[in-house]
Amino acid sequence: MLIDIQDIYKIYNEGKESEVRALNGVSLRVDRGEFVSIIGQSGSGKSTLMNILGCLDIPTYGDYHLDGTDITELTDRQLAHIRNKQIGFVFQGYNLIPVLNAWENVELPLIYQGLGPLKRRDRVEEALERVGMLERRDHRPGEMSGGQQQRVAIARAIATHPPIIMADEPTGALDSKTGLHVLEILHSLHQEGSTVILITHDNSIAATAERIVRLSDGVVVADGAREEVFAP
Amino acid sequence: MKIGQSIKMALKSLATKKGRSFLTMLGIIIGLAAVIALVTYAQGQNLAIKALYDSQGTNVLNVSAYTWDGTGNDVGQKLYDYCLGLDGVVGITPNGYVYDDLTISYGAKTLSRQRNYIGMGGGVMVSEGVSNEDHYPDIRLGNDKFGLCGDYKLARGREFSYLEVQNMAQVCVLGADTAEYLFSFADPIDKIITINGLPFRVVGVYQSKANGVQLGKSEDAQWVAESLKYLDKLLLLPSSMTRYFNRNEPVSEYTVKVKSASDLAEVTTELNSFLPGIIPQNNGSFSVYNPGQYAQDLDEADALQQRFLGIIAAISLLVAGIGIMNIMLVTVTERTREIGIRKAIGAERKSIIVQFLIEAVMICGIGGLFGVAGGYIAAAVLTKTSFGLVIIPSTAVALGAFGISVVLGIVFGLYPAIKASALQPVDALRAD
Repeated sequence: MLIDIQDIYKIYNEGKESEVRALNGVSLRVDRGEFVSIIGQSGSGKSTLMNILGCLDIPTYGDYHLDGTDITELTDRQLAHIRNKQIGFVFQGYNLIPVLNAWENVELPLIYQGLGPLKRRDRVEEALERVGMLERRDHRPGEMSGGQQQRVAIARAIATHPPIIMADEPTGALDSKTGLHVLEILHSLHQEGSTVILITHDNSIAATAERIVRLSDGVVVADGAREEVFAP
Repeated sequence: MKIGQSIKMALKSLATKKGRSFLTMLGIIIGLAAVIALVTYAQGQNLAIKALYDSQGTNVLNVSAYTWDGTGNDVGQKLYDYCLGLDGVVGITPNGYVYDDLTISYGAKTLSRQRNYIGMGGGVMVSEGVSNEDHYPDIRLGNDKFGLCGDYKLARGREFSYLEVQNMAQVCVLGADTAEYLFSFADPIDKIITINGLPFRVVGVYQSKANGVQLGKSEDAQWVAESLKYLDKLLLLPSSMTRYFNRNEPVSEYTVKVKSASDLAEVTTELNSFLPGIIPQNNGSFSVYNPGQYAQDLDEADALQQRFLGIIAAISLLVAGIGIMNIMLVTVTERTREIGIRKAIGAERKSIIVQFLIEAVMICGIGGLFGVAGGYIAAAVLTKTSFGLVIIPSTAVALGAFGISVVLGIVFGLYPAIKASALQPVDALRAD
């Protein structure tokens, strides 16, 4: 079991009138090598869930074991290491650093990992090659199209060879053709053994995954194979 | 993350905001440059005055001791013997001067002075000195330790010997100016000059005190230069010659040279307790005076000035530091999203702190370099125009100023850096 969350709550302004329960008791297990789509309307809590799964946020209540490690026990520093080594993020807004070029953006997590320059060069080259962006290595984000930026973001996510790829609406800002291309890359990563968690509000994109988790009002309302969840 | 990487990243960030980085540095640059220039200016101001005091002999005490009934030669011998027995004393010389008008000749060259008494006032003879030459020397009565005590160095020949002083030998030592006037380029040693017709053999010539002293062109410096030239107009005779020239009045002034400044106080105390024993209370008088005291007072005034400058410096650097803190806080706010991204891909808090701290330190460090360079230029221009000579600030000042600016970066960059690192990744990513 790679990801195991039990009864996760994320509550804002708890006990006050303005209390918001973004997650209201979510349990989820993901095995190594799965491709899971988490779908839901905006406000359903799917982004909150991904933030917690990605160790970007901490749940108010609940247990989270990642590869057997109790995440809720970890220090700030240990969480940073987990984000660095275990998880690769792909965001809707790409989230590249504008002053760095493609190469430097992809190199950044490797620098934080403390890798030497030669190893870094190999990894960056490999990752950019993988997404077909090696020839744009010197371009800054502002000099690239959305699809290209997202491919660089994927290269950054996979440069550290993390077991888990988390993609939050990765195609949300892209036209359908480039979106499809990005999706293809995620699927081929899955085929090569990565665990992929894809968050989207778009059923047709979610439907490319074999397992689908549907979220609504902070709870899981459906979890199963594509055919079950999308059964007519 | 390695420091080299952090520095590279910081440079990149600064380079993307060149205008802002420069304006932030400007505070440091102006602050440091002003401090260095002012400190150097103050040094220059005191240089000239100090040169004068040092030229008159350092670590000396002027002793005045005499009896009304003129048994002063005896006082001199007792004082001499006593001082040689003191630990802190290096040498003692009588330091009288001949107030008679003399005529000094060598070949065709003559130096003479004629003073006309123009009246009496309050029991004191008022006189007007008229010398035929600007070069008429100060005629001193001293012994074999005169050069030592007065910080005169021999250019040629030797000092008197002890026996020459004791035996009223007709010998003399000349100051640089006097020697040059009388002998031009010839060697004065063993030449005979006449003083009021009496033959005197030149045994030594002192080095010039005025030459080689860099003073510049300010009014103070000009005055000091004149004073130094006066010290080179010297004719030194054995103190026993007072028999011939001062109507046998004993020498009553002495100069005592001590080992180091720290001995001044003790020797003063010892002399003050010794002198009453040889000078009867109702038949004489004595005093011990430290001419370096004035220089010390000057030093204290300097210290006060330095402290004042230091306060101004501290204030200007504090203002610069607050400017840096302010701009770093703005930077952190602007780059919240970047911080979020960095944390999402695995940056530890430490890395974020180091990154922003290094940016602040780089601003200050680069600003510091320019500030030091600007300070050197400003100091050179300021001292050149004020004193007529370029005074270069010391390396210690430069290193200190640069060090302070780096420390400033750390101190004022720390809070923004910690603030940046404390952001939750999810909150930071949400920022626009």
